[in-house]
Amino acid sequence: MFLEMQNIRKSYGEGESRVEVLRGVELSLEKGQFAVLFGPSGSGKSTLLNILGGIDTADEGEIRIGGLSVGGLNEKELSAYRRDHLGYVFQMYNLIPNLTVRENIEVGAYLSRKPLHVDELLETLGLSKHANKVPNQLSGGQQQRCSIGRAIVKNPDILLCDEPTGALDYNTSREILALIEKVNRVYGNTIVMVTHNEAIGQMADVVVRLRDGKVRSRKENEVRLSAEELEW
Amino acid sequence: MVKNPLRKRYLRELKSDFGKYLVIFLLMALSIAEISGFLVADISMVAAYNESFEKYRIEDGHFSTEKRMSARQEEAVRALGTAVYELFYTDRRLTNGSKLRIFRNRSEVNLACVMSGRLPESGSEIAIDRMYADNNGLKAGDTLTIEATGESFVISGLVALGDYSAMFENNSDMMFDAKNFGVAVVTEECFREFDSDLLTCCYAWKYQTPPANEKEENARSEEFSKALHGIVSLTDYNPRYQNQAIRFTGKDMGGDRAMMTIFLVAVNVIIAFVFAVTVSSTITKESAVIGTLRATGYTRGELVRHYMAVPVMVTLFAALVGNILGYTVMKNVNANLYYSSYSLPTYETRWSTEALIETTLIPIASMLVINISMLTWKLRLSPLKFLRRDLKKHRSRGAVRLSTKLPFFTRFRLRIVFQNLSSYILLAFGILFANFLLLFGLMFPSVLKNYMEALPDNMISAHQYILKLPEGAVNEEHRLESLLQMMLFRKAVETENETAEKFSAWTLDTVTERGMKDEEILLYGITENSRYVDLSFTGDEVYISQSLAEKRMLEAGDRFRLKEKYDEAEYEFTVAGVYPYSGALAVFMSREALNERFDLGKDTFSGYFSDSEITDIDEKYIGQRVDFESLSKVSRQLDISMGAMMKVVDVFAIVMYIVLIYLLSKTIIEKNAGAISMSKILGFTNRELGKLYVLVTSIVVVVCMAGSIPLEVLLLTSVFRVVIRLRMSGWIPFILSGDVYVKMLALGLSSYAVLAVFEFLRISRIPKTEALKNVE
Repeated sequence: MFLEMQNIRKSYGEGESRVEVLRGVELSLEKGQFAVLFGPSGSGKSTLLNILGGIDTADEGEIRIGGLSVGGLNEKELSAYRRDHLGYVFQMYNLIPNLTVRENIEVGAYLSRKPLHVDELLETLGLSKHANKVPNQLSGGQQQRCSIGRAIVKNPDILLCDEPTGALDYNTSREILALIEKVNRVYGNTIVMVTHNEAIGQMADVVVRLRDGKVRSRKENEVRLSAEELEW
Repeated sequence: MVKNPLRKRYLRELKSDFGKYLVIFLLMALSIAEISGFLVADISMVAAYNESFEKYRIEDGHFSTEKRMSARQEEAVRALGTAVYELFYTDRRLTNGSKLRIFRNRSEVNLACVMSGRLPESGSEIAIDRMYADNNGLKAGDTLTIEATGESFVISGLVALGDYSAMFENNSDMMFDAKNFGVAVVTEECFREFDSDLLTCCYAWKYQTPPANEKEENARSEEFSKALHGIVSLTDYNPRYQNQAIRFTGKDMGGDRAMMTIFLVAVNVIIAFVFAVTVSSTITKESAVIGTLRATGYTRGELVRHYMAVPVMVTLFAALVGNILGYTVMKNVNANLYYSSYSLPTYETRWSTEALIETTLIPIASMLVINISMLTWKLRLSPLKFLRRDLKKHRSRGAVRLSTKLPFFTRFRLRIVFQNLSSYILLAFGILFANFLLLFGLMFPSVLKNYMEALPDNMISAHQYILKLPEGAVNEEHRLESLLQMMLFRKAVETENETAEKFSAWTLDTVTERGMKDEEILLYGITENSRYVDLSFTGDEVYISQSLAEKRMLEAGDRFRLKEKYDEAEYEFTVAGVYPYSGALAVFMSREALNERFDLGKDTFSGYFSDSEITDIDEKYIGQRVDFESLSKVSRQLDISMGAMMKVVDVFAIVMYIVLIYLLSKTIIEKNAGAISMSKILGFTNRELGKLYVLVTSIVVVVCMAGSIPLEVLLLTSVFRVVIRLRMSGWIPFILSGDVYVKMLALGLSSYAVLAVFEFLRISRIPKTEALKNVE
């Protein structure tokens, strides 16, 4: 397995206010798989994503990515791990306001020894015409495309997406999902996406449902729908 | 390898917040320019002064005789291994009220440095001292008239004479006077026309081999003096190392360097903190971006370097511009400050690596240390915290509880203060510093004015005379002649003046303390039941003057030591009390005790206190007069030499006020832009929001300005004491009049009032859409 999470436990707070967010999560994915995590608010899906992304730590459990054990890494090693293996897309785009679209993507490229070609990526993202615009000259969808570009330009092994369409309208969401699908297909990145949108499950290889900090179900789709085919 | 694209932000950041960076840059560049200019001028001037001894062949000393030496006497003096040069002069009062000491053109010793114009070439021309000309508004082409004869001279040029770099008319004067006393040269022919009865037969000498140090100079001078007494009857003897007109300048220059460095550090630390607050505010604003960058793999170090870049760039640029300005414009400004106090020759600008390092290293080091510490601390949080915009290390314990009895607006304002506490604390420190500078600048004229006003009440008597035994009167090798001279002297110094009261006196030096000048202390031996000094002494007990008590921080019961100037003898005294006299650093004891302690003979006296002028003692027996005129010389000269500097300090303080308040209030308003915008959406008017945000800052500014005054006065009292202790002989009491505080507050508040208008306009310009933005 490319990605393995075993018995991941995480709690916040102490004493009476202690909340167990993750209670022994097990998850494994093959390289290049597209996984979607569902679950009600508070089920622990974002926490799981953050632990996987090395920006939060598990209290217990083992995470292995491509044979590398992530659990025992210190702050510096975690930075290197994120730099070498991960791309992040958030609900909010968090673009740098005084850099252009191209430059925002170059921010990601800088971190990689073998980044993707920025012009080609701009073409793929449909942002060639907007390459020299700054974020506040773009629509929400264009900004999110830019943030995806920033995440994948370094060609990460894993692309983590936290509600990437949460702030977008229907049509724009479909465009973004199509882009993620394309990225997965063209570059072969493993994708883990957290979302509330049930329809997105249909375009994933693996659908994982979390409830009360545990994996309640794990289903592998035999047929994946394309983003254009999704309806909600 | 892709270059870090974050670099592209630097110029855009500078451009987008141009106003902020401009004022920081200006403040920093100005302070660096001033210090750099000061250091370069100081180093260049000190070098020019030191080199002037050789370049202008400055004398090793001079002596005066009652009449011109005969050829044989001159030959005998030369045989002592010294070259002797005529340096005759005549002191003439001019119609402008000042006194001019006129020499003939010098060609062998104490050569004139022509500062502008030329040396006199005809009998009607005169070249006068450049500083005396400046202080009296004179220039080449103007005419000077001698009061007594009505003789007029046209000024041909302005000169500097190395033997009068400080304008001491008499070596015993407490302070030089560059306004009412000056020196000048005329042609040989013209000089011959002066009434020979009014000439002082002064001779300068130069040793064939210069002494290696002051101790050797002292020994050789004593030897020379002894030998000289056997050859000629002296009226004055003044070796170079004792000559205030030559040495005072050298001792005074270079003394301000430490103070200027402290000033540079203080300004730059404050600017670095201002940068830290603005960068901290940027980090708060960009926290989600920072979280994303950290999540993507950017390290803390990369981000620290990124946010450090602009402050360091601004600092480096300010150091570059500051140093260029320092070497060009400010060097001249500072050199002119020296030129306004001392008659120095022309100078060549010296390149100083030390100055460059100091004015570059201090700003950069302050910026790096303070901002790296702040950034490291601020960026220590996990990426997740940044993404959640939760920039508190520990969970907040909740908002400070405020009573609901307080009006809503008051609670709102208090919340603004709590939210921006770090900015307001920095503002308070900034105001404290700027106020301190302002008070320092404003204090000076006030202290001098108070000193002048209090002088008449502080004098022991309206007139005070310290007698002088003519040079050469005592000579061990000619005992009989000496005895006769002493008898003549005693007879000649008796007065018929009924108000005159005798006192005896002795001069000792303070025992060297680290960093302090050695100073002469005058010991008075007071006659019993004195009508001028209201003290009764028991045995050996001594009282000290108020100024000595304040300067040396002595009080009743303390012990202190004084020493003879040129030998090892030391004396210890115990303070019996402090006598309210501020005219001099003085010790009072009974005449009997003083005469006994210094082996002067029971009936010896050294001078008179008197309510009216004593007119029946020959001038040649009077060594020093202490009257209102001589005491006010100190404050007059300080006013001339430091007055301009104080104006610079005032301007700098105002600039500091404006920059600090502008930057910090801007940061506060920017931080609250979202809340202000939302308040506008809710229906608050610009006026109401102005009352909330501008008024809070106004209250903080006013409270800080007024509240910091006691601390500033306390600080200033200490600084004043240190400056006076280290930098000047004598003492000026630190008394501030009320109008200084009024001026200080008025200047500070009026500067703020202008800024408050800008703050209000800034609030008015925040759009309602600001609160609705969800893009970074």
